[in-house]
Amino acid sequence: MVTTRKKPIKGQRSGRPAESVGKAAGSKRPARSVMARQLAHERARRRAWIAAGIAAALLVVAGLAGWYAYQSQRPDSTAASAPPPAGADAAGVRVGTGTVTVDVYLDFMCPHCRDFEDKADDALAKLVSDGTATIVYHPLAFLDSASSTRYSSRSAAASGCAADAGRFVDYATALYAQQPAEGSAGLSETQLVNLGSVAGLTDPAFEQCVRTDKYLAWVDGVTERAVKKGVRGTPTVLVNGQAVDADPQAVTDAVDKAS
Amino acid sequence: MRSWIGLAARLVLAGVLLVAGGAKVGDLAASVRAVHAYDILPYTASKVVGATLPFVEIAVGLLLLVGFATRLAAAVSAALMVVFVGGIASVWARGLRIDCGCFGGGGELAADRSPSYGWEIARDVALLAVAGYLLFRPASRFALDNAFIAEEDDDGDDEEEADQGSAVGSAG
Repeated sequence: MVTTRKKPIKGQRSGRPAESVGKAAGSKRPARSVMARQLAHERARRRAWIAAGIAAALLVVAGLAGWYAYQSQRPDSTAASAPPPAGADAAGVRVGTGTVTVDVYLDFMCPHCRDFEDKADDALAKLVSDGTATIVYHPLAFLDSASSTRYSSRSAAASGCAADAGRFVDYATALYAQQPAEGSAGLSETQLVNLGSVAGLTDPAFEQCVRTDKYLAWVDGVTERAVKKGVRGTPTVLVNGQAVDADPQAVTDAVDKAS
Repeated sequence: MRSWIGLAARLVLAGVLLVAGGAKVGDLAASVRAVHAYDILPYTASKVVGATLPFVEIAVGLLLLVGFATRLAAAVSAALMVVFVGGIASVWARGLRIDCGCFGGGGELAADRSPSYGWEIARDVALLAVAGYLLFRPASRFALDNAFIAEEDDDGDDEEEADQGSAVGSAG
Protein backbone atom coordinates (compact mmCIF):
# COMPACT_ATOMS: atom_id res chain seq x y z
CA MET A 1 0.00 0.00 0.00
CA VAL A 2 2.96 2.26 0.40
CA THR A 3 2.88 3.63 -3.05
CA THR A 4 3.07 7.24 -4.05
CA ARG A 5 5.05 10.19 -2.86
CA LYS A 6 6.94 9.68 0.32
CA LYS A 7 6.82 13.15 1.68
CA PRO A 8 5.56 13.12 5.20
CA ILE A 9 5.10 16.67 6.26
CA LYS A 10 4.42 16.94 9.92
CA GLY A 11 2.81 20.33 9.77
CA GLN A 12 0.38 19.23 7.13
CA ARG A 13 -0.69 16.24 9.08
CA SER A 14 -1.57 18.13 12.20
CA GLY A 15 -3.09 20.96 10.28
CA ARG A 16 -5.92 18.96 8.75
CA PRO A 17 -8.11 16.32 10.26
CA ALA A 18 -6.96 13.06 8.71
CA GLU A 19 -10.47 11.77 8.28
CA SER A 20 -11.65 14.42 5.91
CA VAL A 21 -8.43 14.20 3.95
CA GLY A 22 -8.90 10.49 3.43
CA LYS A 23 -12.47 10.84 2.24
CA ALA A 24 -11.72 13.74 0.00
CA ALA A 25 -9.08 11.77 -1.88
CA GLY A 26 -11.19 8.63 -2.06
CA SER A 27 -8.42 6.58 -0.49
CA LYS A 28 -8.99 2.84 -0.31
CA ARG A 29 -8.06 2.81 3.31
CA PRO A 30 -10.42 4.73 5.53
CA ALA A 31 -8.24 7.29 7.20
CA ARG A 32 -8.40 7.41 10.92
CA SER A 33 -8.19 10.01 13.54
CA VAL A 34 -4.93 10.49 15.38
CA MET A 35 -6.46 8.95 18.47
CA ALA A 36 -7.75 5.89 16.64
CA ARG A 37 -4.33 5.47 15.14
CA GLN A 38 -2.70 5.68 18.52
CA LEU A 39 -5.09 3.12 19.90
CA ALA A 40 -4.39 0.76 17.04
CA HIS A 41 -0.70 1.32 17.55
CA GLU A 42 -1.00 0.48 21.22
CA ARG A 43 -3.02 -2.63 20.43
CA ALA A 44 -0.34 -3.75 18.03
CA ARG A 45 2.34 -3.14 20.61
CA ARG A 46 0.42 -5.14 23.16
CA ARG A 47 -0.02 -7.98 20.72
CA ALA A 48 3.69 -7.87 19.96
CA TRP A 49 4.45 -8.29 23.64
CA ILE A 50 1.96 -11.16 23.90
CA ALA A 51 3.61 -12.84 20.92
CA ALA A 52 7.02 -12.39 22.54
CA GLY A 53 5.66 -13.87 25.76
CA ILE A 54 4.26 -16.90 23.98
CA ALA A 55 7.53 -17.37 22.10
CA ALA A 56 9.58 -17.04 25.29
CA ALA A 57 7.38 -19.65 26.95
CA LEU A 58 7.91 -21.91 23.94
CA LEU A 59 11.68 -21.59 24.34
CA VAL A 60 11.47 -22.50 28.02
CA VAL A 61 9.34 -25.53 27.16
CA ALA A 62 11.87 -26.51 24.48
CA GLY A 63 14.67 -26.33 27.03
CA LEU A 64 12.75 -28.49 29.50
CA ALA A 65 11.95 -30.96 26.72
CA GLY A 66 15.67 -31.15 25.96
CA TRP A 67 16.52 -31.91 29.56
CA TYR A 68 13.84 -34.57 29.72
CA ALA A 69 15.00 -36.13 26.42
CA TYR A 70 18.60 -36.17 27.67
CA GLN A 71 17.60 -38.04 30.81
CA SER A 72 15.48 -40.52 28.88
CA GLN A 73 18.26 -41.21 26.36
CA ARG A 74 20.54 -42.35 29.17
CA PRO A 75 20.33 -45.60 31.09
CA ASP A 76 19.94 -45.34 34.84
CA SER A 77 23.57 -45.20 35.90
CA THR A 78 23.33 -44.66 39.62
CA ALA A 79 25.78 -46.83 41.54
CA ALA A 80 23.09 -49.26 42.71
CA SER A 81 21.74 -49.95 39.23
CA ALA A 82 25.11 -50.10 37.47
CA PRO A 83 27.33 -52.64 39.23
CA PRO A 84 30.74 -52.93 37.52
CA PRO A 85 31.93 -56.20 35.98
CA ALA A 86 34.33 -58.43 37.89
CA GLY A 87 37.82 -56.97 37.89
CA ALA A 88 36.43 -53.54 37.07
CA ASP A 89 35.20 -50.55 39.00
CA ALA A 90 33.06 -47.58 38.13
CA ALA A 91 35.97 -46.04 36.22
CA GLY A 92 37.00 -48.97 34.04
CA VAL A 93 38.54 -52.43 33.76
CA ARG A 94 41.80 -52.94 35.66
CA VAL A 95 44.39 -55.33 34.24
CA GLY A 96 47.65 -56.09 36.08
CA THR A 97 49.09 -55.22 39.46
CA GLY A 98 51.92 -52.81 38.68
CA THR A 99 52.43 -49.57 40.56
CA VAL A 100 52.38 -47.34 37.50
CA THR A 101 48.86 -46.68 36.26
CA VAL A 102 48.23 -46.46 32.53
CA ASP A 103 44.72 -45.23 31.66
CA VAL A 104 43.49 -46.09 28.19
CA TYR A 105 40.28 -44.32 27.13
CA LEU A 106 38.90 -46.05 24.07
CA ASP A 107 35.85 -46.54 21.93
CA PHE A 108 35.44 -49.74 19.94
CA MET A 109 33.99 -47.69 17.09
CA CYS A 110 37.04 -45.43 16.87
CA PRO A 111 39.56 -46.26 14.10
CA HIS A 112 42.46 -44.53 15.87
CA CYS A 113 41.75 -46.65 18.95
CA ARG A 114 42.11 -49.73 16.80
CA ASP A 115 45.38 -48.39 15.39
CA PHE A 116 46.64 -47.78 18.91
CA GLU A 117 45.67 -51.26 20.04
CA ASP A 118 47.33 -52.78 16.94
CA LYS A 119 50.59 -51.00 17.68
CA ALA A 120 50.62 -50.99 21.48
CA ASP A 121 49.07 -54.36 22.32
CA ASP A 122 52.40 -56.15 22.84
CA ALA A 123 53.97 -53.30 24.78
CA LEU A 124 50.98 -53.05 27.13
CA ALA A 125 50.90 -56.84 27.63
CA LYS A 126 54.57 -56.75 28.56
CA LEU A 127 54.06 -53.94 31.09
CA VAL A 128 51.38 -56.08 32.71
CA SER A 129 53.26 -59.37 32.60
CA ASP A 130 56.48 -57.98 34.09
CA GLY A 131 54.43 -56.36 36.86
CA THR A 132 55.42 -52.78 36.01
CA ALA A 133 52.05 -51.27 35.28
CA THR A 134 48.34 -51.59 35.87
CA ILE A 135 46.38 -50.83 32.74
CA VAL A 136 42.95 -49.34 33.30
CA TYR A 137 40.81 -49.70 30.20
CA HIS A 138 37.92 -47.25 29.98
CA PRO A 139 35.51 -48.40 27.24
CA LEU A 140 33.59 -45.24 26.32
CA ALA A 141 30.39 -44.57 24.41
CA PHE A 142 31.61 -41.49 22.56
CA LEU A 143 30.68 -42.46 19.02
CA ASP A 144 27.13 -43.72 19.40
CA SER A 145 25.97 -41.46 16.60
CA ALA A 146 28.50 -43.06 14.21
CA SER A 147 26.33 -46.18 13.96
CA SER A 148 22.59 -46.63 13.68
CA THR A 149 22.44 -48.95 16.70
CA ARG A 150 24.53 -47.16 19.33
CA TYR A 151 27.30 -49.64 18.67
CA SER A 152 29.77 -47.79 20.90
CA SER A 153 27.55 -48.37 23.93
CA ARG A 154 26.65 -51.94 23.03
CA SER A 155 30.17 -53.10 22.24
CA ALA A 156 31.51 -51.45 25.40
CA ALA A 157 28.80 -53.18 27.43
CA ALA A 158 29.75 -56.49 25.82
CA SER A 159 33.39 -55.87 26.76
CA GLY A 160 32.16 -55.60 30.36
CA CYS A 161 30.73 -59.09 29.98
CA ALA A 162 34.15 -60.29 28.82
CA ALA A 163 35.72 -58.59 31.84
CA ASP A 164 33.42 -60.69 34.03
CA ALA A 165 35.23 -63.74 32.68
CA GLY A 166 38.64 -62.06 32.94
CA ARG A 167 39.01 -61.83 29.16
CA PHE A 168 38.58 -58.13 28.48
CA VAL A 169 41.84 -57.69 26.54
CA ASP A 170 41.27 -60.72 24.31
CA TYR A 171 37.72 -59.67 23.57
CA ALA A 172 38.80 -56.10 22.86
CA THR A 173 41.27 -57.42 20.28
CA ALA A 174 38.46 -59.44 18.69
CA LEU A 175 36.16 -56.39 18.65
CA TYR A 176 38.78 -54.21 16.98
CA ALA A 177 39.44 -56.90 14.38
CA GLN A 178 35.76 -56.71 13.40
CA GLN A 179 35.36 -52.95 13.77
CA PRO A 180 32.31 -51.84 11.77
CA ALA A 181 32.47 -48.97 9.30
CA GLU A 182 31.34 -45.54 10.34
CA GLY A 183 27.66 -45.02 9.57
CA SER A 184 26.88 -48.75 9.48
CA ALA A 185 24.60 -50.67 11.81
CA GLY A 186 27.52 -52.20 13.67
CA LEU A 187 27.66 -55.80 14.83
CA SER A 188 24.44 -57.43 15.98
CA GLU A 189 24.07 -58.94 19.45
CA THR A 190 24.49 -62.37 17.89
CA GLN A 191 27.72 -61.31 16.22
CA LEU A 192 28.95 -59.86 19.52
CA VAL A 193 28.20 -63.18 21.21
CA ASN A 194 29.89 -65.18 18.45
CA LEU A 195 32.99 -62.99 18.63
CA GLY A 196 33.34 -64.23 22.20
CA SER A 197 34.44 -67.65 20.99
CA VAL A 198 37.50 -66.04 19.35
CA ALA A 199 38.45 -64.77 22.80
CA GLY A 200 37.64 -68.05 24.54
CA LEU A 201 34.26 -66.89 25.80
CA THR A 202 31.85 -69.75 25.29
CA ASP A 203 30.12 -69.58 28.65
CA PRO A 204 26.31 -69.19 28.40
CA ALA A 205 26.66 -66.50 31.07
CA PHE A 206 28.58 -64.39 28.54
CA GLU A 207 25.85 -64.76 25.95
CA GLN A 208 23.17 -63.92 28.50
CA CYS A 209 25.16 -60.86 29.63
CA VAL A 210 25.61 -59.55 26.06
CA ARG A 211 22.01 -60.14 25.03
CA THR A 212 20.62 -58.32 28.07
CA ASP A 213 23.00 -55.36 27.69
CA LYS A 214 23.83 -55.92 31.33
CA TYR A 215 26.61 -53.35 31.50
CA LEU A 216 25.03 -50.56 29.45
CA ALA A 217 24.51 -48.43 32.55
CA TRP A 218 28.05 -49.15 33.72
CA VAL A 219 29.37 -47.91 30.35
CA ASP A 220 27.32 -44.74 30.70
CA GLY A 221 28.88 -44.17 34.12
CA VAL A 222 32.41 -44.90 32.84
CA THR A 223 31.83 -42.44 30.00
CA GLU A 224 30.51 -39.71 32.26
CA ARG A 225 33.43 -40.09 34.66
CA ALA A 226 35.88 -39.78 31.80
CA VAL A 227 34.19 -36.65 30.47
CA LYS A 228 34.17 -35.10 33.94
CA LYS A 229 37.87 -35.84 34.14
CA GLY A 230 38.42 -33.87 30.95
CA VAL A 231 38.75 -36.68 28.40
CA ARG A 232 37.63 -35.10 25.13
CA GLY A 233 38.37 -37.80 22.62
CA THR A 234 39.55 -41.33 22.03
CA PRO A 235 42.09 -42.74 22.26
CA THR A 236 43.37 -40.85 25.27
CA VAL A 237 46.26 -42.37 27.19
CA LEU A 238 47.44 -41.25 30.62
CA VAL A 239 50.47 -42.51 32.52
CA ASN A 240 50.04 -41.80 36.21
CA GLY A 241 47.49 -39.16 35.27
CA GLN A 242 49.69 -37.40 32.69
CA ALA A 243 48.56 -37.42 29.07
CA VAL A 244 50.96 -39.07 26.64
CA ASP A 245 50.73 -39.66 22.89
CA ALA A 246 48.75 -42.74 21.91
CA ASP A 247 51.91 -44.45 20.77
CA PRO A 248 53.62 -47.52 22.33
CA GLN A 249 57.03 -45.85 22.55
CA ALA A 250 55.61 -42.76 24.27
CA VAL A 251 53.74 -44.97 26.75
CA THR A 252 56.70 -47.19 27.66
CA ASP A 253 59.02 -44.16 27.96
CA ALA A 254 56.57 -42.49 30.34
CA VAL A 255 56.19 -45.70 32.34
CA ASP A 256 59.98 -46.11 32.58
CA LYS A 257 60.26 -42.60 33.88
CA ALA A 258 57.48 -43.11 36.39
CA SER A 259 58.63 -46.47 37.75
CA MET B 1 11.94 -4.62 -0.77
CA ARG B 2 13.08 -4.43 2.79
CA SER B 3 10.51 -7.02 3.83
CA TRP B 4 11.91 -9.45 1.26
CA ILE B 5 15.35 -9.01 2.78
CA GLY B 6 13.76 -9.73 6.14
CA LEU B 7 12.26 -12.94 4.75
CA ALA B 8 15.62 -14.04 3.36
CA ALA B 9 17.31 -13.27 6.68
CA ARG B 10 14.70 -15.28 8.56
CA LEU B 11 15.05 -18.28 6.28
CA VAL B 12 18.86 -18.30 6.35
CA LEU B 13 18.97 -18.12 10.14
CA ALA B 14 16.12 -20.62 10.54
CA GLY B 15 17.78 -23.09 8.19
CA VAL B 16 21.11 -22.99 10.00
CA LEU B 17 19.52 -23.28 13.45
CA LEU B 18 17.23 -26.15 12.45
CA VAL B 19 20.08 -28.10 10.89
CA ALA B 20 22.37 -27.40 13.84
CA GLY B 21 19.77 -28.38 16.43
CA GLY B 22 18.51 -31.36 14.44
CA ALA B 23 22.02 -32.77 14.12
CA LYS B 24 22.39 -32.82 17.90
CA VAL B 25 19.06 -34.08 19.24
CA GLY B 26 19.71 -37.72 18.41
CA ASP B 27 22.67 -37.98 20.78
CA LEU B 28 22.30 -35.44 23.56
CA ALA B 29 25.07 -37.07 25.59
CA ALA B 30 27.39 -36.19 22.70
CA SER B 31 26.05 -32.64 22.79
CA VAL B 32 26.88 -32.45 26.50
CA ARG B 33 30.39 -33.77 25.80
CA ALA B 34 30.83 -31.23 23.00
CA VAL B 35 29.96 -28.41 25.41
CA HIS B 36 32.22 -29.80 28.13
CA ALA B 37 35.08 -30.11 25.64
CA TYR B 38 35.25 -26.28 25.60
CA ASP B 39 36.47 -26.63 29.18
CA ILE B 40 34.62 -23.47 30.23
CA LEU B 41 31.70 -24.67 32.36
CA PRO B 42 31.59 -27.06 35.32
CA TYR B 43 30.22 -30.44 34.29
CA THR B 44 26.70 -29.91 35.65
CA ALA B 45 26.38 -26.66 33.72
CA SER B 46 27.73 -28.35 30.58
CA LYS B 47 25.02 -30.95 31.01
CA VAL B 48 22.27 -28.33 31.19
CA VAL B 49 23.60 -26.39 28.20
CA GLY B 50 24.33 -29.49 26.13
CA ALA B 51 20.91 -31.01 26.73
CA THR B 52 18.81 -27.88 26.26
CA LEU B 53 20.70 -26.05 23.48
CA PRO B 54 19.68 -28.34 20.58
CA PHE B 55 16.00 -28.00 21.43
CA VAL B 56 16.26 -24.24 21.91
CA GLU B 57 18.01 -23.97 18.53
CA ILE B 58 15.18 -25.89 16.91
CA ALA B 59 12.52 -23.80 18.68
CA VAL B 60 14.16 -20.52 17.61
CA GLY B 61 14.55 -21.93 14.10
CA LEU B 62 10.83 -22.69 13.96
CA LEU B 63 9.91 -19.22 15.24
CA LEU B 64 12.02 -17.67 12.50
CA LEU B 65 10.68 -20.04 9.87
CA VAL B 66 7.07 -19.03 10.50
CA GLY B 67 7.97 -15.46 11.45
CA PHE B 68 6.41 -15.43 14.88
CA ALA B 69 7.89 -13.06 17.48
CA THR B 70 10.63 -12.42 14.96
CA ARG B 71 12.33 -9.75 17.02
CA LEU B 72 12.60 -11.97 20.10
CA ALA B 73 13.80 -14.91 17.99
CA ALA B 74 16.39 -12.65 16.37
CA ALA B 75 17.53 -11.41 19.78
CA VAL B 76 17.96 -14.98 21.05
CA SER B 77 19.79 -15.98 17.84
CA ALA B 78 22.12 -13.01 18.18
CA ALA B 79 22.81 -13.90 21.81
CA LEU B 80 23.55 -17.51 20.82
CA MET B 81 25.97 -16.38 18.12
CA VAL B 82 27.77 -14.06 20.54
CA VAL B 83 28.16 -16.97 22.98
CA PHE B 84 29.35 -19.33 20.20
CA VAL B 85 31.91 -16.85 18.93
CA GLY B 86 33.13 -16.20 22.46
CA GLY B 87 33.41 -19.92 23.19
CA ILE B 88 35.33 -20.72 20.02
CA ALA B 89 37.62 -17.72 20.49
CA SER B 90 38.32 -18.84 24.05
CA VAL B 91 39.17 -22.38 22.92
CA TRP B 92 41.39 -20.99 20.17
CA ALA B 93 43.19 -18.70 22.59
CA ARG B 94 43.86 -21.55 25.01
CA GLY B 95 45.23 -23.74 22.24
CA LEU B 96 42.72 -26.57 22.62
CA ARG B 97 42.13 -28.74 19.57
CA ILE B 98 38.42 -29.47 19.40
CA ASP B 99 35.59 -29.74 16.95
CA CYS B 100 33.19 -26.88 17.74
CA GLY B 101 30.31 -29.36 17.82
CA CYS B 102 28.23 -26.77 16.01
CA PHE B 103 26.49 -29.37 13.85
CA GLY B 104 26.81 -32.42 16.06
CA GLY B 105 30.07 -34.18 16.77
CA GLY B 106 32.43 -32.25 18.98
CA GLY B 107 35.26 -33.16 21.29
CA GLU B 108 38.95 -33.44 20.60
CA LEU B 109 40.08 -33.61 17.01
CA ALA B 110 41.96 -36.66 15.81
CA ALA B 111 45.66 -36.11 15.28
CA ASP B 112 45.22 -35.95 11.51
CA ARG B 113 42.65 -33.16 11.60
CA SER B 114 43.29 -29.51 12.32
CA PRO B 115 40.88 -27.04 13.90
CA SER B 116 38.99 -24.54 11.75
CA TYR B 117 38.27 -21.91 14.38
CA GLY B 118 38.74 -18.98 12.01
CA TRP B 119 36.13 -20.24 9.57
CA GLU B 120 33.74 -21.14 12.37
CA ILE B 121 34.01 -17.70 13.92
CA ALA B 122 33.59 -16.00 10.54
CA ARG B 123 30.45 -18.04 9.88
CA ASP B 124 28.97 -17.22 13.27
CA VAL B 125 29.79 -13.52 12.91
CA ALA B 126 28.00 -13.52 9.55
CA LEU B 127 24.98 -15.16 11.18
CA LEU B 128 25.20 -12.63 13.99
CA ALA B 129 24.94 -9.88 11.38
CA VAL B 130 21.85 -11.54 9.90
CA ALA B 131 20.29 -11.82 13.37
CA GLY B 132 21.23 -8.21 14.08
CA TYR B 133 19.47 -7.07 10.92
CA LEU B 134 16.27 -8.85 11.98
CA LEU B 135 16.60 -7.48 15.49
CA PHE B 136 16.37 -3.93 14.17
CA ARG B 137 14.15 -4.65 11.16
CA PRO B 138 11.95 -7.60 12.08
CA ALA B 139 9.38 -6.80 9.38
CA SER B 140 9.26 -9.37 6.63
CA ARG B 141 7.05 -11.11 4.08
CA PHE B 142 5.13 -14.27 4.90
CA ALA B 143 5.42 -13.86 8.63
CA LEU B 144 2.82 -14.84 11.22
CA ASP B 145 3.68 -11.56 12.87
CA ASN B 146 1.95 -9.76 10.01
CA ALA B 147 -1.38 -11.33 10.87
CA PHE B 148 -1.00 -11.26 14.60
CA ILE B 149 0.75 -8.05 15.43
CA ALA B 150 0.61 -5.66 12.52
CA GLU B 151 -1.96 -2.93 12.29
CA GLU B 152 -3.30 -2.74 8.78
CA ASP B 153 -0.55 -3.23 6.24
CA ASP B 154 2.11 -2.02 8.60
CA ASP B 155 4.41 -4.82 9.53
CA GLY B 156 6.85 -3.32 11.94
CA ASP B 157 7.49 -0.40 14.22
CA ASP B 158 10.28 0.94 12.09
CA GLU B 159 8.19 1.45 9.02
CA GLU B 160 5.34 2.98 10.93
CA GLU B 161 6.33 6.61 10.42
CA ALA B 162 7.02 6.29 6.74
CA ASP B 163 3.83 4.36 6.19
CA GLN B 164 1.58 6.85 7.88
CA GLY B 165 3.40 9.70 6.32
CA SER B 166 2.88 8.43 2.83
CA ALA B 167 -0.78 7.74 3.52
CA VAL B 168 -1.24 11.38 4.31
CA GLY B 169 0.95 12.33 1.42
CA SER B 170 -0.98 10.36 -1.14
CA ALA B 171 -4.20 11.73 0.21
CA GLY B 172 -3.07 15.32 -0.12
